[in-house]
Amino acid sequence: MSRIKLIDIASARSGDKNDVCNIGVMANDIAAYSLLKQHLTADKVKQHFGDMIKGEVVRYEWDTIESLNFVCHGALDGGASRSLRMDTLGKNFSSHVLRLEFEV
Amino acid sequence: MSKTVKIAGAQGFYGDSPMAAMNIVMENAANYLVHDALAELTLSILQKDKLRNPEEGYAKDIEVLAKVLYPAAFANGMRVVTNSGGLNPESAAERVKAILSKAGVIGIKIATITGDDVLNRLGELQEAGEELLNMDTNLAYSTSKYPPTHANVYIGAQKVKDALDQGANLILAGRVADPCLTLGILAHEFGWQLEGNLSQEQLNLLASGISIGHLLECGGQASGGNSYAEWPMDYKVSNLGYPIAEVSADGSAIFTKLSSQGGKMSRNTLREQLVYEIHDPSHYITPDVIVDLTSVEIKELSPNTVLFKGAKGKPRPEKLKLTIGQMEGYITEQFFFFSWPYAYVKSQKFIEAVKEIWANLPVSIDRMQFDLVGINGIHGSAAPEIPKAYLDNLNEIGIRVAIKHKDERTGKMAIAAITCLGLNGPPGVISIPGWGKMNRAMLSLWPTLVPRELIHEELKMHEL
Repeated sequence: MSRIKLIDIASARSGDKNDVCNIGVMANDIAAYSLLKQHLTADKVKQHFGDMIKGEVVRYEWDTIESLNFVCHGALDGGASRSLRMDTLGKNFSSHVLRLEFEV
Repeated sequence: MSKTVKIAGAQGFYGDSPMAAMNIVMENAANYLVHDALAELTLSILQKDKLRNPEEGYAKDIEVLAKVLYPAAFANGMRVVTNSGGLNPESAAERVKAILSKAGVIGIKIATITGDDVLNRLGELQEAGEELLNMDTNLAYSTSKYPPTHANVYIGAQKVKDALDQGANLILAGRVADPCLTLGILAHEFGWQLEGNLSQEQLNLLASGISIGHLLECGGQASGGNSYAEWPMDYKVSNLGYPIAEVSADGSAIFTKLSSQGGKMSRNTLREQLVYEIHDPSHYITPDVIVDLTSVEIKELSPNTVLFKGAKGKPRPEKLKLTIGQMEGYITEQFFFFSWPYAYVKSQKFIEAVKEIWANLPVSIDRMQFDLVGINGIHGSAAPEIPKAYLDNLNEIGIRVAIKHKDERTGKMAIAAITCLGLNGPPGVISIPGWGKMNRAMLSLWPTLVPRELIHEELKMHEL
C-alpha cells in the first residue's frame, strides 16, 4: 500500500454553470489515469468537499485526454450571482480537489 | 496545399485586455478575430446599462476596439465576429459606425444579429402555451416571484454564416452561443451546411467547429492562463499570447500562439480548456449540434503547435435554451483585518460583536456569512483544520462579512451599524473598502427551453 497525492499525478480546472460546478481532473500520464479511474470515485470527491456540495456528484471518464470530469450539483451556494462565498465561480474547486489523497 | 482558415480567440470576457488581439492584428496572424463578451451573468449587467440609457446595453469594449483595433484589422482584410452586441446590437452598430467614420474608415459592412432577446415576449410565449419549465426544478415560470432582468435565447451559427456570406467585415451579435461564433465562420469559409438533414460526416464537421470554438472562446485560458496543467507557468503571463486555430476543411485544427508573446500552447493547455465548463463530455449541447468530445485527439506536433481533431456530432436539439435573469435582492460585503498579537481571537471577538449588532437592527438580513481570509475564506467548511498553536500565532488575519437582504436600505444600515467597531472593537481593525461593497444586485437564473420556431433571428447590414 502506498499513499498517492492527487497533486503529484494530475492537474485540474473547474468552472461554473449556474449552481453546478464541473471539475476536470487531468492525469499527468496514462499510468496516472488508470490510478484515477480506479480510485478517484465520485463518492470520494463528494466526501472531500463535504457541505460545500449539496447535491449529487457525477463522474465522466474521458479516455482520449486521460481525464475525469466531475459534475457537482448544488455546489455553488445557489449560483455565482446569489452566492455569499468568496469564490463565487468555484474556480478553486480545482485547487481543493488537488488536495485529495488515496491509498493504492 | 488546400485552404485553411486562421481564427484567433481574441477576447475571453467583457472587460478583457485588447492587447493580445492587437498583437495578432499587428502581426497579421489570423483571418478572423472572435471576441466573446457574454458570460452567463453579463446580460444582467448590460440590462442595467440599457435601463439607464436605451442607447446602451452592449459590451462597451467595442468602443475601445473601434478606435484602436478594428481599423487596423480591416486594413489587413481581417474580419471580426463578436456577441458584444449584447442586448442592443443596433445601438452597438450605430456607435461603432460613428467611431469608424470619424476615423475615416469606409467601405465596411457591419452586420447585426438580433431576435435572441425575448424579455418583452415572455407573456406572449406563455400565452402561446409555453410554460417555460425551469430545467432544474421543473416549475412553471408563472410560479416565479421575482421580476426578470433579461431573457435571452442561445442562438446558433446560421446568421453568422449568412452575414459573412453577404460580406460583413464586422458582426455584432446578441446572444449567439459562444462556440457558434466560430462555427459560423467555418460554415461560411468551407460551405458547411448547418440546417436540414445532415449526414454523419456533416454532423462531425459541425462538431469540430463547435469544439474549436469552445477552445477559443475563453481567450488566454487555452494558452497557459489560469493553468495548473503547466504549473509553475515557466512563461510570461503579463503579455500572454491568445490561441489561434488554423482550421482545415476536414475540421481538424492546428493551435498556435504568437511566438513573440508570452503564454504557452501545449497538449496540456488545450486539455484543460477542453474540460472547462463541460458536463457530460459525450453530450455537449449547442444550438447547432450535440457534440461528442470523448473521441477527440490532441497531439503536440512541436513546441507551441498542437493538433486537434476527431469530435463527433449528433443532430441538434429540438429546442433552444433560454435563460431568464431574475432580481432576487442584494448582497453586501466588507473585509476587515487584524494583526498579531491575538489576531485569531480578535477576529472571533469582532464577529461576535457584528452578530450582536445585527441581531438588533430594525431591518432584516436574510442570511449572513463570515469567512476567515487565510484560513477558510475560499474553501469554507471543506478547508482543513488549522492547528491551534498556528492560529494563536498568526501574523495577520482577514474577516470577510457577506449578507443577503431584500432592499438597498438594509445594506447601508448594516454597514453603518458596525463602523463603530473601528473605535469600539478589538484593537487595530482595518476596514477595506472604506464604505463596503454595498448592494450588489443578487440575481438568479431561470434556465428553460423554447421551441425554435418561436424565435425569429434577424440579420441586418449597415454600410459605411
